[in-house]
Amino acid sequence: MSQISKLSSEEVIRTTRKKLEKNGYIATGQIATALYLAQALVKPILIEGPPGVGKTELAIATSKLLDKPLIRLQCYEGLDESKALYEWKYGKQLLYTQVLKEKLSDMLDGARDLTQAVDKLHAFDDIFFSEAFVEPRPLLKALWEKNGAVLLIDEIDKSDQEFEAFLLEILQDYQISIPEIGTVRAKTPPVVFLTSNNTREIGDALKRRCLHLYIPFPEHKLEQKIIETQIPDLPQALSKQVVNFVQSLRKLDLKKVPSISETLDWARALTLLNATDLQPQLVRSTLNLLLKFQDDIEHTNPEVTALVRNAIKDS
Amino acid sequence: MLPDFIKALRASNVAVSTAESIDANKVLTTIGIENKLLLKYSLSMALAKGIDDKKRFDECFDVFFNQNTQPHLITNAVPLLSLEFTDESRNTTDTLGSSEGETLLSILKTEDKVALQQLLAAAAQDVQLQNIRIFTQRGVYMRRILEKIGIDSVDEHLYQRSSDDQEKSNFTTLKNLKASLIEDVANIVEKSLLLYTANSANNLREEILQKTALARIEVRDFKVMKQLVTKLAKKLTSIHSRRRRRAKRGHLDVRQTIRKNIQYDGVMFDTVWKRIQIDRPKVIALCDVSGSVSQVARFLLLFLYSVSEIIPKVRSFAFSNYLGEVTGLFESSSAEVALAETIRLWGSGSTDYGGALSELERLVGDEIDHRTTVLILGDARSNYGDSGHLALRRIHNRAKRVIWLNPEPRSFWNTGDSEMKKLGACCDKVDPCRTLNHLERIISDIARTAT
Repeated sequence: MSQISKLSSEEVIRTTRKKLEKNGYIATGQIATALYLAQALVKPILIEGPPGVGKTELAIATSKLLDKPLIRLQCYEGLDESKALYEWKYGKQLLYTQVLKEKLSDMLDGARDLTQAVDKLHAFDDIFFSEAFVEPRPLLKALWEKNGAVLLIDEIDKSDQEFEAFLLEILQDYQISIPEIGTVRAKTPPVVFLTSNNTREIGDALKRRCLHLYIPFPEHKLEQKIIETQIPDLPQALSKQVVNFVQSLRKLDLKKVPSISETLDWARALTLLNATDLQPQLVRSTLNLLLKFQDDIEHTNPEVTALVRNAIKDS
Repeated sequence: MLPDFIKALRASNVAVSTAESIDANKVLTTIGIENKLLLKYSLSMALAKGIDDKKRFDECFDVFFNQNTQPHLITNAVPLLSLEFTDESRNTTDTLGSSEGETLLSILKTEDKVALQQLLAAAAQDVQLQNIRIFTQRGVYMRRILEKIGIDSVDEHLYQRSSDDQEKSNFTTLKNLKASLIEDVANIVEKSLLLYTANSANNLREEILQKTALARIEVRDFKVMKQLVTKLAKKLTSIHSRRRRRAKRGHLDVRQTIRKNIQYDGVMFDTVWKRIQIDRPKVIALCDVSGSVSQVARFLLLFLYSVSEIIPKVRSFAFSNYLGEVTGLFESSSAEVALAETIRLWGSGSTDYGGALSELERLVGDEIDHRTTVLILGDARSNYGDSGHLALRRIHNRAKRVIWLNPEPRSFWNTGDSEMKKLGACCDKVDPCRTLNHLERIISDIARTAT
């Protein structure tokens, strides 16, 4: 933080971008700005965008960049506190009571009646409900991490509304109340990423507490850069053609348009096949890497030749 | 500046809460305002929290911040060097001093763009330009700003010089400058008007459309109506998508409890209660598509298919003298195309309620169960034929509920060939359905009783 305030914000953002690039993540200005603001204002980032544009990747790259552990919480319907926050180690508690059973008479030695025995027991306090018996789940783990962590709450839109409300306390104050222990507050607030695929509208209360970053499909240049950094073996001519082809594919009326991750898969496959440039036949046989619906493949098949021709012409 | 910008954002339908404006302030202090692109990115993260909001934010940002940066005097400025105002030459470029007129003159003389810009901005703020509401206020605000920056003294100056032959060329230059200055001010006022009132007209229009009888809505408003329906559908979806499961307190789910407590060595620590899985409602919509009712049918079907998230199972049928299923049509193509096709296929002929209702019973009678809501839209005018109330009675006995929507006002029911009395008796609910507001209430009602 102190480092950040010394430099001008612009410089910090520029260096962040470079560092992310070193870690293999090509960030746009917006993404780098979001990252900077999240740290400067100590606020979580809510990332929205179509699947496969690198929402989760951003969190991973950030954890590498900041050299902090990445703690990931995958959301799903029915996710509740005991899986997200903490749980008591019941087994351990039971075991300990069994072990201590024999020692009980020693401990209560000298107690003349029940009142004294109870008083003696009280002196031991709530050992069984102390931190030693807490099983931390991702959220608590992130708060306990002394030097801070990167917390990724993935696909928040898949979780229930109740869970979303439950997150509010953590996201605002970086603290959480455990009835038996008290309030746990983060020593160093973690950098929090929430991702959403927009399968349902996220509540306003949650949105208000976050910075909102929308990652769209990458532009031509950016996508090419991403491919080149991720797959250095790919011939340059081919990478240009690949990007051209995918970009034109996105303009078609498809059920699910290919995203960056699909482009990367396809490009990797093409390198494996030792392709040097796009051929309609080759494209047809590998189209299932890009398009995930049979309808889409059938719809695109007749146009492949034209698309490939254009892709080669433009490169 | 920030409060004004937020005001402009709210005017263009981006919901900004107080907490968010505080955030924006923090953003402003960390980022600064030197780099405009950076500022845009950062503010957009703090203020616009959705894809649509982002788009509106971008537009608003561009208009707002361009207004403050580029007085267009700069571009068509004529070289001013020959002008000599020896008597008044002062180097102060202070904005809005006690002698505004002189400041303005000196600014014009020195071509100090930054100072002019500041002067204009300060004047706009002084006259509270952000309160502009309607286009007829343009003139007033222009005049006020011009007065504020001291156009009078320029006029005076011009007046004095006009008598002097020597200064003829200077005179014309100054006159041109003044003209372009006025143009600048007009631009500023125009942009503010755009910025702060862009949506109030739209909002008014939407409000009126919501109350207008659906049958009277003009073709030119269909586009707005469609957006409106989408908006309402989104609202309903977010309201009703919440309550999906409800714990049935007091009923222990033994199987689940045993399963859950295996991890604690079978000691029953955690209890699991039985839950009621709330079913999404099944809706069967039957629409009369003859004549005037078809308009209402259009919006009813459009609405029903827009809330597919909370009412996923909709089967729709259309009839006038024959009945046919149109579910596939509405699912595969846009509402306009589907409706035109529906009317072409089923819309001709006089309505036959008896035939339609018994046909409906024959087609989907077996599918109607205690979860099904049957929605019937029609004016119940049977042309003195069979009203079909017997078939409707049978449907009613099977279904969860039968709702009749009548696009005619209540006072018209049971007049002439209207069979509302007979048919209404076989329904759980009879509602007039004339405007979008009615529609919203009805759909919300279906979704609510489903939970």
